[in-house]
Amino acid sequence: MLEVRFHGRGGQGAVLASELLAHAAFLDGKWPQSFPFFGVERRGAPVTAYVRIDDRPIALRTSITVPDVVVVLETGLLRTVPVTDGLREGGLLLVNSALPPELIEVPIPVRTATVDATGIARARGLGSPTMPIVNTAMLGALARATGVVSLDAVRGSIVHVPAKPRENREAAADGFAAVRSGEGRHLPVARRAERAPPLPEGPIAAVPSSTLVTSSWRTLRPVIRLEKCTRCNFCWKYCPDDAIELDPSGFPVIREAHCKGCGICAAECPPKTIEMVLDAGARGGWGVR
Amino acid sequence: MGRQVISGNAAQAHAARLARVQVVSAYPITPQTTIVETIADFVASGELPAQYVKVESEHSALQCVLSASALGARTYTATSSQGLLLMHEVLHWAAGMRAPIVMGVVNRAVAPPWSLGSDHADTMSQRDTGWIQFYAESNQEVLDTVLLAYRLAEDPAVRLPAMVAEDAFYLSHTFEPVEIPSAGEVDRFLPPRDARAVLVPGRGLRLGSFTGPVEYVQFRRQVADAMERVPAVLRNVEREFEEITHRHHGGPLSTYRTDDADTVLVTMGTATTTARGVVDQLRAEGHRVGLAKLRVFRPFPAEELRALADSVGRMGVLDRSFTFGEHGAAATEVRGALYGAPRRPSVSSYLGGLGGRDITPGLVRKVYRSLESGGSELPTWVDLLPEEAPAHG
Repeated sequence: MLEVRFHGRGGQGAVLASELLAHAAFLDGKWPQSFPFFGVERRGAPVTAYVRIDDRPIALRTSITVPDVVVVLETGLLRTVPVTDGLREGGLLLVNSALPPELIEVPIPVRTATVDATGIARARGLGSPTMPIVNTAMLGALARATGVVSLDAVRGSIVHVPAKPRENREAAADGFAAVRSGEGRHLPVARRAERAPPLPEGPIAAVPSSTLVTSSWRTLRPVIRLEKCTRCNFCWKYCPDDAIELDPSGFPVIREAHCKGCGICAAECPPKTIEMVLDAGARGGWGVR
Repeated sequence: MGRQVISGNAAQAHAARLARVQVVSAYPITPQTTIVETIADFVASGELPAQYVKVESEHSALQCVLSASALGARTYTATSSQGLLLMHEVLHWAAGMRAPIVMGVVNRAVAPPWSLGSDHADTMSQRDTGWIQFYAESNQEVLDTVLLAYRLAEDPAVRLPAMVAEDAFYLSHTFEPVEIPSAGEVDRFLPPRDARAVLVPGRGLRLGSFTGPVEYVQFRRQVADAMERVPAVLRNVEREFEEITHRHHGGPLSTYRTDDADTVLVTMGTATTTARGVVDQLRAEGHRVGLAKLRVFRPFPAEELRALADSVGRMGVLDRSFTFGEHGAAATEVRGALYGAPRRPSVSSYLGGLGGRDITPGLVRKVYRSLESGGSELPTWVDLLPEEAPAHG
């Protein structure tokens, strides 16, 4: 049995990639199983998806903790999610990156492959420029780098993609052709034993949610034109997650590191002083580089 | 105030007043309504300086007191039947958020068909929500138990919500003498709430927000551990209450004439009073019979039941609600508690008093006769009438 774990962000197509890989393995005559895990959050939040491939029915219904292959759809996740956790010795890490494998920093010595799936998706017009959909290019690269499925099967699985089947088949072929294999740059980190974190009595978080760095989820960010602000505080009230504070004179200030760019403040602002602008090159920003 | 003739609903209201609750929110439903009406009078007259929040549903009422409780307030609400069912989602929230809310519940049958009569289906269907559950037998027990429930719920070792259930009409609208303690007595027993680790206005803390599976398990286990600490805390709280008021209601499983009994009836709520009378008659007739009242249903008094089972040959559990596809909940849980006991008496299951049917002395005698003649493995509906044959051919 072969186990593949996908790491992506909501909106990139990681879940669909896992389903397509299952369809492709089935076309190759295998028994596949795929399923995602995600939280309550929105586009941009980290998502994990799993695929198992075997020659016979699979007698296991758990998440994948010891994968043979890890596929990372966005390089920012390498810093924020322990993507290589449990990766089997001799396994493979496949990363969406224009960099050669030797420049990808990895916490364990691991065979590493890279493909510029973002570039391919943009060139093929998949998704939007701010949110290219990279899943099919990654699957083509996966077919080449691992041999677990054939390129023909990946292309065949694309009947399950809701839009642009021709462009997606071409992106898979592009990914297949462009993938580069090598070794990642090993930067060892200490491993933690599995322990439950110390918790308060009752599910109360010791820190406010405003301390969580979730700005990497956004594609748009709010900009307030303070000269038109009436200090009505609607933006502060309607912000669903404490991403706006008030300065001593009552003007709103965006907590840049926390704001996920949902745009509710801009929609609610009565004098329309808040504008959502493209967050080009924001910290850890995804999609746009 | 001394001894006064009041209803069970008034007993709930006086207890909330004496507990100096700070926030009350409720939605009217028969036969609960007079509880919150009486509290509204106390607030209007200034006897109870509390915030009284009117809302549009029971779901909102419980959410309102939950939010106030999360800010450290002592809170009270009351409901019944369909209203309790509508609260179901927030019941889980209150326990998981460790909010020591105390709620009066008037046990009323669940529709359909519509019924205002007493039975326990409403609270029994909430027994997995993490709330402590008391079932009272008299108006005095109602008043005292609400006060005990605040001390227990707010204890730092517990911090769980508690419901104090009373049977519709048999207590809610029954007037009988009740010793109403003085404010001074209650203040000695029940100091202001210790409001550590709660939300603070202006500080962006998160209570009950999203977690991964690892933390989720840890937090659920905290609720389970808190529930396990209830019996020990309750013992101390009841002892202190007795020192001040000279009243004690007998712990989570209150027993009567069980010392040399070979047969024990297990009851809940007001059926206990009638059954106690029958036990006295049967004793006078030479039967070795006793009575055990499930006064606390959550946490279930399994240890006390195992101790009782040590000396008893058979038990008959009289449930006032039914779990479709199974037995009455109390019978099932008594059997579960005794399965691992060194000595296991036979446990028979009886259903009676649904939808306001009277549990009469005759009915209790019927249960005893059944036990004498070997008992009943399957649930016996003791007050079900045989149906007449249809008139048409």
